Amino acid sequence: MQDRKFDHISERILDVSVYIVLTLFCLSTVLPFILILIVSVSDEASIINNGYSFFPSRFSLEAYKLIFSDSLVLRAYLVTTIVTVTGTTLSVLLCGMAGYGISLKKVKYRGNIALYFYLPMIFSAGLVPWYLVVTKTLHLKDNIFALILPYLVSPFHIFLFRNYFKTIPDSLRESAEIDGGTPFQIFIRIILPLAKPILATVLLFTALGYWNDWMLALWLIDDKDLYPLQYMLYRIMSLILFKKSGGGMSVGDTGTVPMQSVQVATLFVTIGPIILLYPFVQKYFVKGIMMGAIKE
Amino acid sequence: MLKKRELWKNRSYYMMILPAIIVFFLFSYLPMPGIIIAFKDYNFMDGIFGSPFIGLENFKFFFMSEYAWRTTFNTLWINANNIFWGTFIAVMFAIMLNEMRNMHLKKLYQNLMFIPYFLSVIILSRIVGMIFNNEIGIANRLIEFLGGDPISWTTEAKHWVKIIVGTNIWKGVGYGVIIYLSTIVGIDKGIYESSYLDGANRLQMIRYITLPLLVPVIIILTLLSIGRIFFGDFQTIYAIVGNNGALLETTDIIETYVFRAVKNSAEFSMAGAVGMYQSVVGFIVILGSNTLVKLYNKDYSLF
Repeated sequence: MQDRKFDHISERILDVSVYIVLTLFCLSTVLPFILILIVSVSDEASIINNGYSFFPSRFSLEAYKLIFSDSLVLRAYLVTTIVTVTGTTLSVLLCGMAGYGISLKKVKYRGNIALYFYLPMIFSAGLVPWYLVVTKTLHLKDNIFALILPYLVSPFHIFLFRNYFKTIPDSLRESAEIDGGTPFQIFIRIILPLAKPILATVLLFTALGYWNDWMLALWLIDDKDLYPLQYMLYRIMSLILFKKSGGGMSVGDTGTVPMQSVQVATLFVTIGPIILLYPFVQKYFVKGIMMGAIKE
Repeated sequence: MLKKRELWKNRSYYMMILPAIIVFFLFSYLPMPGIIIAFKDYNFMDGIFGSPFIGLENFKFFFMSEYAWRTTFNTLWINANNIFWGTFIAVMFAIMLNEMRNMHLKKLYQNLMFIPYFLSVIILSRIVGMIFNNEIGIANRLIEFLGGDPISWTTEAKHWVKIIVGTNIWKGVGYGVIIYLSTIVGIDKGIYESSYLDGANRLQMIRYITLPLLVPVIIILTLLSIGRIFFGDFQTIYAIVGNNGALLETTDIIETYVFRAVKNSAEFSMAGAVGMYQSVVGFIVILGSNTLVKLYNKDYSLF
């Protein structure tokens, strides 16, 4: 199929339009970053006067100086890192164990348990009961566990694990049992090493979910010191978070509104790690999506 | 009830499942009885179960207000557009990508397309903000450069459905392309070859081979998406629109309405009624669409 000659004019048009459309779209995914980078090192005055531009009249590193002299961004990074690492580890553990448990034929109640995890996906009581239970009954307000616990168990991930573990032959587990060893030991020493692909996938999906989340903070966190990264970004750029003229950031109506360049610089600093990691992790995501889609 | 012998025999396994069961119970099952708040006049002191029962008052209040119609319509309209355009563009891009002959460029483009999926909605919404800012945004500067009058984006509601749908597409296209492209790649090359021998050009191949073979996947994914049509995309919309009252007319969906009612006005019972309305109707819609999926292809139904 590679050596075909294109003698049909419609095919030429096809080729050209394919390249134009796709190139335009891909440019649109790249240009924003460039814009953000440039604006973040633009002089504030030129932003106010001329607007966002790829070609500012003057450059300035003022924004970054201000950001790094303040602890807000760093603190948000700390919070998000702790939440992501803890949350992802625990979640993968919990979902992995559950997925394994319900993948085995000998576990007679696996169908009922699967249904148990499945039901809330199609019917839930809604946000208000959830909010009241989480804040009043579970006391998860302004609390780092509030950022971790709600996402620990994802039925989708449990089912991904289950479907993968189902492909591991029962005989393997049985002979391991004969050799002696508790089910848990077998899980850790024999099954898990075989599950590297699914582990990588679920790990990355979970980590991305935690890293990018801002909903939990939106509903449950009022304490500035517990703002995760994306939520902090949201509040800064919604001008709810103001910048004190001296240097620190504060919530409330004293002080001046953060400079445009500071806002955009914060934006850039937030995107940074994700974009750096992207080339390395994207192939796992692609695989994961294809795996999930087969059972869609 | 539960057979003790089975539980004991496989106790290690049930123990492994238990933590997930417990945590899941706390966040997904424990709130369920709280749905009763829809029928009560909630006050903080008495809690959900102590507050007075007022029957359908909350529902009456909501449905008689303009919000019921507006939020429902917006939810459905925005979601429908998301599904339609999202699918259309993802399929189109997948086919286009497949037609690219330069393998390196193809990989590069696929990777680039997928980047927005990675970004949080906050980042996306701030990019949108940078474009559609009234004074300094890229859009207005471009318009002025081309000689037109700047548009006051942040006060005109009519533009924002398109912007929101556009953002959704931008974020979701990479994901859709992966699914559709992997389907296309799975098509037997022999079919294309024999059609070539019959004199077909590439456009005809797309029209008569690729598209028809994509239709099953498209139908299933679309039906499943329609199943969730009553559950809006709170994150994207709230991140972009926030509390901008001027835009609520076209962008306020059920979830954002509930959010404002709870966080801004502490109207728990009303919000609870709205939430219940959504859960119940949404459930019926899911049942309906799932039945359709079952009729089409039993393997793909949700249950």
